[in-house]
Amino acid sequence: MNTATPAEAAPDTADSSTGQLVTLVVPAVAAMARVARLTASSVASLGDMTVDDIDDIKIAVSELMTLFIQHDDPSEITLRFDAGELTFSIDATMAVSGADLEGPEALLAKAVLDAVCDVYELDSVDGRIAARVVKKRSDQSTSSRG
Amino acid sequence: MDEMNDMHEVGRNESLAVSIDQQGTVIAVGDIDLAGGPLLEKAILQQEESQPIIIDLAAVEFIDSSGLRSLLSASRRAQGRETSVTLRNPSSGVLRLLSITGTTTQFVIEEAES
Repeated sequence: MNTATPAEAAPDTADSSTGQLVTLVVPAVAAMARVARLTASSVASLGDMTVDDIDDIKIAVSELMTLFIQHDDPSEITLRFDAGELTFSIDATMAVSGADLEGPEALLAKAVLDAVCDVYELDSVDGRIAARVVKKRSDQSTSSRG
Repeated sequence: MDEMNDMHEVGRNESLAVSIDQQGTVIAVGDIDLAGGPLLEKAILQQEESQPIIIDLAAVEFIDSSGLRSLLSASRRAQGRETSVTLRNPSSGVLRLLSITGTTTQFVIEEAES
């Protein structure tokens, strides 16, 4: 099982990064889902993502927020957006007790993540949940699958 | 303008505004997400005792799985009453999420006339 923290995992995208790295820290409340989406789409637009890619990125961020905000927990979510030339990655982490990542709500969110991202990893370790999502630019996804 | 005056606003928050028009159609404007989903559900619950549910999504720019759950809950309850939930004018984004999750058949889809 990959239990790398987002910070440790970041070098995976170093080859394609253009240095458009933005970190957002928000309270773990539902109202912040929109803030996270808007920030992610703005950062993604700095890279070379297509409009459809950015739509997928917005969905992915929203699903991460759904997974993280499952109960009234006075915590903060740290989201790190990295817009590269060929990929856009999101690393998210939050301190939480008793996260349910296997319930029906989480399963639906994970099914959507699976459809809109090229890679996603989700771990709950030592009182923290951490997620990593990678979205390749559409033509890259197509070519890598071909 | 008259149509706007005939609508009853159920509520609004940072993501979504929800109203009900005189025909009982639930009209959502904005994003149906973690914040907007409960607001939409509140409006649906207000309407569903009296009639089939029609939800106008023409002005919904975004939906995620948490928003979809509100729609699916309404669909399940409607099926229990032997009726259905109609999604009117869903955007391509809404249709895509339904497709991704395999839930399109849970709703009657009423697309805009061209």
